[in-house]
Amino acid sequence: MISKLSSAGPRLTHFGQPTLLAVGFALLIAISGTSIWLVNQARGDAAAVAHTLEVENTLSSVQLFLRRAESGQRGFLLTRDQSYLRLFSASSSSLGPGIDQLRKLVADNPAQVATVDTISEMAGKKMAEMQRTVDFGLQGQWEDALRVVASDEGENLMRSLAQTVQGMKVEESRLLTLRTASATQSANWLLYVNLFGVVAIITVAAIAVHLSQRNTRALRQAHAALSVINEDLEKRVEERTADLQEANQEIQTFAYIVSHDLRSPLVNIMGFTSELEELRTDLFHRLEALRTRAGDTDAAQDQELAKDFDEAFGFIKASIIKMDRLIKAILDLSRQGRSELQPVPVDMRGLVDGIAATVAHQLIEREARIEIGPLPAIVSDRMALEQIFTNLIDNAVKYLRTDVPGRIEVQAVETSAYVLFSVSDNGRGIDPRDRGRVFELFRRSGPQDRPGEGIGLAHVRTLVRRLGGSVLLDSQLGKGTTFKVTLPKTLAAQRKGEE
Amino acid sequence: MVNHVTIVMIEDDEGHARLIEKNIRRAGVLNDIVGFKDGTTALAHLFGPDGSGAVNAGRALLVLLDLNLPDMTGVEILKRIKENEHLRRSPVVVLTTTDDKTEIQRCYDLGANVYVTKPVNYENFANAIRQLGLFFSVIQVPEAK
Repeated sequence: MISKLSSAGPRLTHFGQPTLLAVGFALLIAISGTSIWLVNQARGDAAAVAHTLEVENTLSSVQLFLRRAESGQRGFLLTRDQSYLRLFSASSSSLGPGIDQLRKLVADNPAQVATVDTISEMAGKKMAEMQRTVDFGLQGQWEDALRVVASDEGENLMRSLAQTVQGMKVEESRLLTLRTASATQSANWLLYVNLFGVVAIITVAAIAVHLSQRNTRALRQAHAALSVINEDLEKRVEERTADLQEANQEIQTFAYIVSHDLRSPLVNIMGFTSELEELRTDLFHRLEALRTRAGDTDAAQDQELAKDFDEAFGFIKASIIKMDRLIKAILDLSRQGRSELQPVPVDMRGLVDGIAATVAHQLIEREARIEIGPLPAIVSDRMALEQIFTNLIDNAVKYLRTDVPGRIEVQAVETSAYVLFSVSDNGRGIDPRDRGRVFELFRRSGPQDRPGEGIGLAHVRTLVRRLGGSVLLDSQLGKGTTFKVTLPKTLAAQRKGEE
Repeated sequence: MVNHVTIVMIEDDEGHARLIEKNIRRAGVLNDIVGFKDGTTALAHLFGPDGSGAVNAGRALLVLLDLNLPDMTGVEILKRIKENEHLRRSPVVVLTTTDDKTEIQRCYDLGANVYVTKPVNYENFANAIRQLGLFFSVIQVPEAK
């Protein structure tokens, strides 16, 4: 019935939602990671571009310093005015740091470092050449100075220096182009990745919405199917319950009719046995009279006959009485099964106290005591409860041991819907083999030295079941017995037509 | 009870019928006892061939009725007697094994005059019947119309 459910309705996508969620999260994380990486990359690219520009700038400065130094040298040599030397010395002193900065800037590029070294060397040579002319000028050897200038050595140096610088600039601008392209590419990638991310997330969301709708629909269908099945099930349960009640009713009726019908012949057997007994008396009187008339004085034979008669009558009567008791027990049991239960609030403490009072006399005789714990009130059939606990307490009293002071305890444990009552004694206990049997009709355990028919516990079980509960037995032979009666806190009112 | 009163005993169990008769006699009741073993013959006797009950007009009847009969329930017979214009005043003593409360109530509701449960123990049974016999000896029974 239940297994049909999964195959009947559309299959529920159990894995869809979490998987989608995971995919969505993975996408978000991937996009974020890529974006961060790309942004970092772009920042690196921008820094590289700035770096290239700075290198070019510094290169220009180095060139400028050289040109200014040369201007100062030329001015001094032309005008012989020493004030030009200030420009010369200022520019030459700036040159060193300029080259150092350049070297630092291109430290990551070995080729450029080599070029910077060349520049440095050339600049050093150029500076040495200019210094020499200035030194000649300061010493008044102007011709020597002019000769050095005219040698074109300085001019050549300057030209090749310019070429080298130009080469370096070209290299740097090549790098700049590369880096700019890379930066653009990074920016583009960032855009693509973000666009892809947006599309992917929208897709995932759409799938999720679709799946969730499908699931909801499937759930709703399953729910509808379930309620149909439930209704069906309830109907079946009702039918079965009705069947069972009917069957139970039939058994009860059967037991009632059988026991009832058995009583009629019993009356006859008993009745005519009594008639026979009277007949026997009449017969023996007549026998005696006839014997007297015949002059026979031997009465011993008559007495023998009378004894045999009496023995036979005794057995017949005892059997009838026993059979009558058994039939009556079956009748009572079936009557209890048929009686109508009336749920009313019952103060269990009061009820058990009342039962204890009825056995007080027996308890005193046996030097026993009964302890009754706090018992909750329940809603159930008072008559049935009284019979249940009377039987249990009577049993406890009946089977107390004579060698120890008797003690009987009645306790209760409450759960949400049930109350577990326990009736414990320190009596002679029940053999483990008899624990099931004692609840059967006409069955008794242990030495058959106490009066009883073996009916009490059968009644208890019937009644407890009728009250919607159960009864269990816990016992140690020779130590004591505990009967555990579980009863619903509230007995449902019987439906009409059940009886 | 005057001698012309006839006791109509409807009892399917011959043994019971015999025991009842014996014990009634022991109580000193000497009236005629007419026994029937089933409902059909009993009804035929009570209501006559025309079923009106007029056949018994002018006769005083006391009915001893068992409820468990093979062909019908004694309750049915009780009902018909109490509904019949000729017989309704005739005392009906329900003498049966049933001690079911609802059954007892039903019989009294239908107009039963006495309801006695047969005790199973023979001493008690004999006693009950003898007392019933004593009771019969003192009551007045009207004639059927």
